[in-house]
Amino acid sequence: MSSRRHWTLIGVLLAPAVVLPLWVPLYDHEDPTFLGFPFFYWFQFLLILVAVAVTVPAFWLSRQADRLDRVRHGLTPDAGDPTRTDGR
Amino acid sequence: MLDHVNGIAFGVFLFLFLLVTVLGFAAARWRRAASLDNLDEWGLGGRGFGTFIAWFLIGGDLYTAYTFVAVPAALYAGSVIGFFAIPYSIVAYPLVFIFLPRLWSVSHRHGYVTPADFVQGRYDSRVLALAVALTGILATMPYIALQLVGMQVVLQVMGIGTSSDSWFVNDLPLFIAFGVLAAYTYSSGMRAPALIAFVKDTLIYVVILVAVFYIPHQVGGWEHVFSTVSDSFTSFNAENADAIATGAAAPKGTIPPPAAQWAYASLALGSALALFMYPHSITGVLATRNRSVIRRNAALLPAYSLLLGLLALLGFVAIAAGVKVENPQQSLPQLFEDQFAPWFAGVAFAAIVIGALVPAAIMSIAAANLWTRNVYKAFINRDATHAEEANQSKLVSLLVKFGALVFVLALSKNLAINLQLLGGVWILQTLPAIVIGLYTRWLHRWAVLAGWAAGMAWGTWLAYGVASPTQKHFGGPLVFLPGTETKVYIALLAFGLNLVVAVVATVVLRAMNVAEGVDQTRPQDYHADLGDPGVEARLDPEAPAHA
Repeated sequence: MSSRRHWTLIGVLLAPAVVLPLWVPLYDHEDPTFLGFPFFYWFQFLLILVAVAVTVPAFWLSRQADRLDRVRHGLTPDAGDPTRTDGR
Repeated sequence: MLDHVNGIAFGVFLFLFLLVTVLGFAAARWRRAASLDNLDEWGLGGRGFGTFIAWFLIGGDLYTAYTFVAVPAALYAGSVIGFFAIPYSIVAYPLVFIFLPRLWSVSHRHGYVTPADFVQGRYDSRVLALAVALTGILATMPYIALQLVGMQVVLQVMGIGTSSDSWFVNDLPLFIAFGVLAAYTYSSGMRAPALIAFVKDTLIYVVILVAVFYIPHQVGGWEHVFSTVSDSFTSFNAENADAIATGAAAPKGTIPPPAAQWAYASLALGSALALFMYPHSITGVLATRNRSVIRRNAALLPAYSLLLGLLALLGFVAIAAGVKVENPQQSLPQLFEDQFAPWFAGVAFAAIVIGALVPAAIMSIAAANLWTRNVYKAFINRDATHAEEANQSKLVSLLVKFGALVFVLALSKNLAINLQLLGGVWILQTLPAIVIGLYTRWLHRWAVLAGWAAGMAWGTWLAYGVASPTQKHFGGPLVFLPGTETKVYIALLAFGLNLVVAVVATVVLRAMNVAEGVDQTRPQDYHADLGDPGVEARLDPEAPAHA
């Protein structure tokens, strides 16, 4: 799998986190309410959780995509030793 | 000047303020470097912050005290469109996830400290870099001033310094707080806000969680809150029907009317795009240790959005709890004072005031770095040593804070708010230079400059023409989309023009074969990570910055 396909998949995963919050008519309603909150409010809180839920798999994919990109640009698949925290 | 002050609340507040003051000065010794005499150490905390610290630092940096005061104030005032802060903060992180690791990599490899450094290296144009730097400074200054406004309303509600006739005596506490902040930022640099952010965010989380579970319960539950608010707004709209019809008053509501949906969405999108163009956000990101830190934080930072959303709704809770204040910005602190025991009210006030210190420190550092790297070093002293750069930045960070203080105290608070509004419009115009520049050099450097100039000019002119019930100019962030009855965010319109001009001018300039400058970056620089050649954990401060 090339990195392009990884990045496409990442784009598809992250798209709902960008599109849904901007699609205001979708959630600009009073009903149904939940625990007393109008739909407008609890749906947006839900979207925060959706955004987190799609970002986590996107993160794992991006690590693979980064490795492929690095090789494509003449770097080693992994940079240095990630456990090293300072130069001393 | 301390009449009507609750002793317990004030005592707790003072204790917490002194605690962060000690931390601020002690931060100079935290994760100690051999020397703080260069911008990588003073201005970026050694570029070594991991996921955990970065979460506190960037969260503390983006979710400012002013936000914590202004968003509930908007809802309290019945302007529900202010809730756009939530979709805005959701949309911002996927964008961050995609482009910021590239900026991190190229900046780390070339020793760039500011976004304008990158623009200089990429486009080989000191003028374009200067435009980006000045836009950043201009947009940041009123933002710092607004942090003072956030502190001021808390101090007012606490009753500190409201009884004297002299503005100097009234605002003495603000002077002291800002003086202390300036002193430890000067000595500890970026490490100070990073360490204080731990205290700030812990306090904020505790206060808000207690507030959103305890207070609504006290006033009869969320259902009761929403129905009370809804009734109150309905009767307001009925009583002021004439004024609303003539535009002298704005109707209130608990959810946006259909006509405002485009405004809501465009504010969210425009602000999300602009968020990581602000110098202080980029400074926070460049202070992280490696690429993964940024992406992990894109998944972790939304926790703050949840907090902000709940906090925003406290504006409604304040209405249901019967809070009556002239200045809506006082509604949240007043709610805390009314509902909490004095000691916990003290904790809550301290949380907001400390919440102003962290972003104010980072913003002043970011503005100072821009000045030093892209004005001082680029035009005034081209042979500046690293120590001279650090000294210059430290001094300018003091100046910037002092400027913000004078601004709020001597000039007008409204001016700061208007300029902050314009700041959002302006900073978005640097997006093509920074973000598009991360992916392609196709845009010509002079075309990017022309687009920037067009966006700045049109955006400012549009904002100038907006009237509100209280002011003739700069009355709000929205205008009618040309030729329609739909209101949208000015920043996005100006950004659209910016892009069109940049693309058209690029085609023309390329056809004329105008020199496009030498790009100092290579494709692989955008993928470099910690451990690659040139991306050392501790940068050699004597290495040339534009190698």
